[in-house]
Amino acid sequence: MSAYVLESVAKAICDSVGYDFGCGIGQGAFKETFSATQADGVPVAVKVLKPGCSAERSDREVEAMKRCAHPNVAALIELSAIDVDGVQYPFIIEAFMSGGTLEDRLGAGLISRSELLKIGDALIGAVDHIAAQELVHRDFKPANIMFADARGEAVIGDFGIVRDLRKDSLTQTYLSSGPGTPFFAAPEQLTNDKALIDWRTDQFALAVTLVIAHFGFHPYQRDGENDSQAISRVASRSGPSPTFVQMATQIELPALIKMLAPWPVERFRTPPMLLNAWRAQRGGD
Amino acid sequence: MPAFHQIGHDSKNLLFDEGLNRFGGAILSPLNYTPDDVADQLTRLRERENFVTLFDPHLYRPQSERMCLPSWDYYPRDVETADFTPNWWAGIVDKLAETALKLGPTAVASPAIVPKTFPDEFYLELVQNGNQLESVLRGTPVKPTQTIVASLVDLTAPQRAMSIASIMSKSRIEECLLVLIGNTDPRRELADPEELKGAMKLIAALESGGQRVTFASCSSEMILWKAAGATNCATGKFFNLRRFTISRFEEPDSSGGGQLGYWFEEALLGFLRQSDLLRVNAQKLLSDASAGNPFSQQILENIPAQKAWVALGWRHFMYWFADAEFRLSGGSVSAEDLVTAADATWAAVENSKPKIFMEERQNNGDWVRQWRRALEEFPYFE
Repeated sequence: MSAYVLESVAKAICDSVGYDFGCGIGQGAFKETFSATQADGVPVAVKVLKPGCSAERSDREVEAMKRCAHPNVAALIELSAIDVDGVQYPFIIEAFMSGGTLEDRLGAGLISRSELLKIGDALIGAVDHIAAQELVHRDFKPANIMFADARGEAVIGDFGIVRDLRKDSLTQTYLSSGPGTPFFAAPEQLTNDKALIDWRTDQFALAVTLVIAHFGFHPYQRDGENDSQAISRVASRSGPSPTFVQMATQIELPALIKMLAPWPVERFRTPPMLLNAWRAQRGGD
Repeated sequence: MPAFHQIGHDSKNLLFDEGLNRFGGAILSPLNYTPDDVADQLTRLRERENFVTLFDPHLYRPQSERMCLPSWDYYPRDVETADFTPNWWAGIVDKLAETALKLGPTAVASPAIVPKTFPDEFYLELVQNGNQLESVLRGTPVKPTQTIVASLVDLTAPQRAMSIASIMSKSRIEECLLVLIGNTDPRRELADPEELKGAMKLIAALESGGQRVTFASCSSEMILWKAAGATNCATGKFFNLRRFTISRFEEPDSSGGGQLGYWFEEALLGFLRQSDLLRVNAQKLLSDASAGNPFSQQILENIPAQKAWVALGWRHFMYWFADAEFRLSGGSVSAEDLVTAADATWAAVENSKPKIFMEERQNNGDWVRQWRRALEEFPYFE
């Protein structure tokens, strides 16, 4: 991870609102994230947006977070901007998740089937809520899934590339692929089939995330293939690998297989349908 | 599951024909009938138990095809100058819902036009209209139906059917009315296997995703749509009410001339003119389905008496349609069975002595081979 170029800005923000500055905890294309502590001891995350990044993108991120209110969606505490040396830096303050990210947890090993079901259950709730706001998160991945504490439920954060279905898309139609993290993205996201983007795009990315977390490989990846080959397979809609399908079938996770169908029409049509099917898998635990 | 009667020009009498009581639903036509006419039809149809009435607003070509439409409140008065924006459609949906609630059909289809091209944005607009109709009708006794207008040519493109189904499955409505637009010569059998496979793929994708398809304006190719999983198929008295086509079975016009009687023969999956029928019958090639069709005997009696049997031909076809739909839905026969048998019968026609030459050169059964191919290949069609 490279040095945090916005650390001085984050410190200035903490000084201005009376927080104790902590340290850098994450970097993205549009922002850097720092830990801090409120005067009452409550930990928070301070996200500083990079100057020059798309104001429309950051506006949409903030609007999206304001619209959401769900225990499994990261909560927005404050939104403001600070002037440092004549430059305006928008910033967002969110609840800090001391349990770390799913990516952190995976550093210690894959999660069990029961953890998979629990995390999936929580995040399907988040997907349902996000979809009800006519939003598509478009960036479900282990690094964006956090835990309030070591035993806490999973929470999805980082709405940096959220798509607001009530508004015109910010992505040009002529682009060959849309924004997102390719390794976790759905086919329609990789191929920029904008008309096909909806909550089922998040359904797919959530499923890839869960497969990585439990099985340790991409569900579209064939034996011996690398990550970029797996991405190509998703983009060409070749379907999940027979190995993955066999393994998921053996441990009775049919809903996980359906979530990974190449076409949205083949996935679960509504969040309640997905949740019911997901919970029906508990029997195999 | 049952066949639907697609009501068209001067066909309401067939709606109440005792011999056609196997139809389980009707698609009502504001194009051909005024609000009072449709209200009368609904009053009588409500007497039938579990009979489904679907009101199709018929705004497919509102600028050029009006007929009775201007007598309806939801018909846009500014149709010649409107830009068909989402707000414009929203106004139509609201008025359409009001009309439907006043009339009281079982269901009403969302409004749709036939566009010049079929981009993704068009399908998103259809979904938007459908979802708005669903919102307006929520909690009322009238059920919304999502209209899908698709181009058969467009469906031949790889992955297009799945893409369209993916967009249309954004709709909150589970019932769909599928209207296909094609370039096939007027009222000839659909015979392009790529078009057929694309349409079948679309049906299968929608149905497997939980959306029940009612296929509008079918002809004998209904057997393919049933094989693909279509819940309901609709037809009318002109054998193939594919929209916007004329000629072969056209109504007589004021300048004279008249219609010919046509017999639909399951053994050939084709339509026969009188002389064809007599020669095929002489070779004992008619099907059991025709033997069991109550209108067959009447037609065969009318021919030697030199009585016209055009209207009996309509009934003969519609009876076959509802009966075949019933057998296909129940599994007592499959589309594969029917096309395989028809292929064999056409071979028998070809080899008969004396050889049977159908009156129409194009009536040669070529489509049956294409249907067999479509049935075989559609599961692999991308």
